[in-house]
Amino acid sequence: MLYTVNKSPFSTNHLDSVLQIAPAGAPILLYEDGIYAAARGTQAATLVQSALANHPIYALQADLEARGITAVLEGIQVINYDGFVQLVEEHDVAPWL
Amino acid sequence: MGNQVAVLMRKAPYGSVYTAEGFRTLMGIAVFEMDIRVVCVDDGVYALVKGQNPTKLDMKPLGDGFPALAEFGVKDFYVHDQALTERGLTVDDLVVPVQAVSSAQIAQILQESGKVLPFYLPLPRLGRGGEKSCYTL
Repeated sequence: MLYTVNKSPFSTNHLDSVLQIAPAGAPILLYEDGIYAAARGTQAATLVQSALANHPIYALQADLEARGITAVLEGIQVINYDGFVQLVEEHDVAPWL
Repeated sequence: MGNQVAVLMRKAPYGSVYTAEGFRTLMGIAVFEMDIRVVCVDDGVYALVKGQNPTKLDMKPLGDGFPALAEFGVKDFYVHDQALTERGLTVDDLVVPVQAVSSAQIAQILQESGKVLPFYLPLPRLGRGGEKSCYTL
């Protein structure tokens, strides 16, 4: 199952919550304000880096560009809308709204 | 008390309407020649990050607008130093010259301003029996 997160890790607990629930191996997609978790050098970086050991983590290119986030943590897979569609085709989706 | 107003930004741009509405309000009240301070805390600091390009979202870049506010006399930008640090940002990452200030200084600026216009209020959902919940887009 694909877990999707669209809120900032600094203003909500959505990412923390999803990481407690999502089983190992479940892919996680960061989009909209969720992409701030993919940025390098933040206080969420340690959490995301440890999560990368258990989950493939994707971040949506358009949302990174919109917000001026250019330095992305190593291991995060940056995808475009086609990649988003492909993930949704391959997995059932648990939107963590 | 003079015409001092603090516009308080706490939300990231694009994910909600708050940054855009805060900016619109700044444009609106600037013409009345008030003493306006822009105060960014929490995710509000993301509104000022350089290099925003929301073309693929079919939205207008919000960060680009803030430097232009100087023409309307809006030059006092204060950002919470802790909010920058948490996000791995420095003042050099921002589109306008800002003063990075402590929590106590933020409180003092709000206190001095007297009037605080917040751009983060959770709005009640319509048509759901009136229960309180955060409005999300």
